[in-house]
Order: sequence, then C-alpha cells, then structure tokens
Amino acid sequence: MNRTWTIIALLVAALATGCGTKKGFEKPGFSFGCPIGDAKVSSMDDLVKSKVVYEGKRTTIQATEMRCTLMTGDLYKIDVNLNNDSSQVKRINYKFRWIDREGMRAWDEESWKPLLMYENSNIPVSAVAPTNKAVDFRLILLGQE
Amino acid sequence: MIDLSRSRRLLAVLSLLAAVTIASGCAKDKVRYGDARGVETVTNEFGSTDLQMIAESMTRSMLGAPVVAGGNLPIVTVQEVKNKTSEYIDTRAITDSIRSELQKSGRIRFAVDAAAMQQQIEELERQQSQYYDPSKSSEVGKMVGAAYRLEGNITSIVKQVKDVKDVYYKFNLQLWNVRNGLLEWTDEKEIRKTTTKG
Repeated sequence: MNRTWTIIALLVAALATGCGTKKGFEKPGFSFGCPIGDAKVSSMDDLVKSKVVYEGKRTTIQATEMRCTLMTGDLYKIDVNLNNDSSQVKRINYKFRWIDREGMRAWDEESWKPLLMYENSNIPVSAVAPTNKAVDFRLILLGQE
Repeated sequence: MIDLSRSRRLLAVLSLLAAVTIASGCAKDKVRYGDARGVETVTNEFGSTDLQMIAESMTRSMLGAPVVAGGNLPIVTVQEVKNKTSEYIDTRAITDSIRSELQKSGRIRFAVDAAAMQQQIEELERQQSQYYDPSKSSEVGKMVGAAYRLEGNITSIVKQVKDVKDVYYKFNLQLWNVRNGLLEWTDEKEIRKTTTKG
C-alpha cells in the first residue's frame, strides 16, 4: 500500500514538472520572464500579442519573440525580435511604454526611435526600464510605410 | 479696334496683378503644434530625434552600470562633451537631458559642475553677508565633491556623392572615477542619416 502511494506521489510530481513551461517553472504572473499579471498567456505568440501595440499607420513588421529579465537594481530589461518578412526595405518607429503596479504610466512617454529593416530580416530591439517602479511594459510600433 | 483690344489686355494684366497682390497679402503662415517626441527628418543635420535617442540610450545603459546599479547613489559631475563634428551641436543640451533622466531615476546624485561653479560661489558668498541669519544660510566650505565625472564626445563622418548625402554620428560617453582614475562605465550610440535628392 505504501509503495502504491509512493508511486502515485512520484507520478503526480512528474506530471507537475511536465506541466511547467519548456524553460522550467515560471513564477506565477510571468511568461518568458515577462510580467503578464492575470492574463492567460500560454505561448510566445500570446505574450507578443499582449505586449505589442500598433499605433498610427499599420505596419507589416511583426514582433516574433520577446524575453525579459530583471537586472541589478530591479530594472527590467526587455529583448524583442522584430521581423520583416517582406521583400522590401521597411521603416518603423518604436518606443516602450512603462507601466507601474497600479497600471499607470511609470515614466514619461519615450521618444520615437526610427528603425530601418532590410528585406527578410530580423532585428533585436532592447530596452531597459528607466525606473524600478516599472513592472510592466508595452512595445508601441508605428508604421512608416 | 486695335486700341480697344490692347486696353482690354492691359486691364486683364492689371487685374491679375492686383489679385495676386491681394492674395499674397492675405496669405498667412499656418502655425501648428507638433509632437516634441516625434521623428524629425527636416534635414540630415543633428536634430531633436538624435538628441533624444542619444540621451535615452546613454541613460538606460548607465543605469545598468555596477557603480550605479549598486544603489550607493554615486555623486557625479558633468564635464564637457566635445563636439568633433563639422556642424554646430549644443552638446550641453545632450548632457542636460542625460542628467535630467538620471536625476529622475533617483540612482545618481549630481554635484555642481564647472560651468555652474561661478553661480554657486556667488550665491554662497551672497549668503555670507550681514543680511543673512548665519544659522539659516549656507556655510562656505561644505560643498560635496563628485566621486565620478561624466565626459564624452560626438564625432561625425559625412560623405556626399551627387544626389546622396550620408551622415554618420557616433556619440561616446564615459564615467570616470575621480579618485583612482578608473573608467567605470562607457557606451556609444551610433546614428546614420541619408538624404537622397529627387
């Protein structure tokens, strides 16, 4: 009987481990290191959709990957991979918007940063939060086409 | 008959001239507010977008430097950023923006720099006059020296061929330890702008 219960316990533990993300256990409220709050994010696509906002002219450039890490001093560092899968050179402007625990702006609105993307290319874009009050963010993309 | 046709022509020309004069007098320049943080591409000279990109990039990089991220509130003084380009650039505007962002972050404190030292001394000396209550005014000899100094330079490479002008800027900033002369942090920001005619 004891042996049976031990086997069941081991099976449950193995299942729980398997249910973790591919990278191992993520803390609740985080996905790929990025804060997600209560949002249901089960994949990279979901994460990107929840964090990328398009403003102004729509662009065909897509964010395909996103990862976050907490640096010394409790500042978030965000890495986003932008993809231009067209056969033309594209230009976009981007900026990050930082959000605090209350859902309000944690910092002044950033300036737009222009980016040139060659045809069929990927460019990583990085940002470091200006304050440790920033516990969430949005990547804003503005098309120039 | 000929005279009549000539006078009609003259009248037409005079009417046209009068209309143009009135129209140009009534035309007004239209002024509208723009986006102070928008991307500016009026010319390929150093502009507001370049200043904002440089300031933001340098600030965010410096916030990650061990000497700043350690939380010890290092005291920094801002020194000269040399303009090594062929155009006029107000490098003070760049360092002011960097200082403003860093100060707001609460991770660095700034000591008065050489440019503002004269005003600082004048204010201190003013407060030593008989008109001030010594217990409520600032004493001489209590200023705090900076442990680190910030300096840098901006260079450019300009190339022009027929209808294409390419300008490349490189901004470099360094944080030096005043006491031991070690370089605590440095970073660069590169910008390229291309103008094509037609």
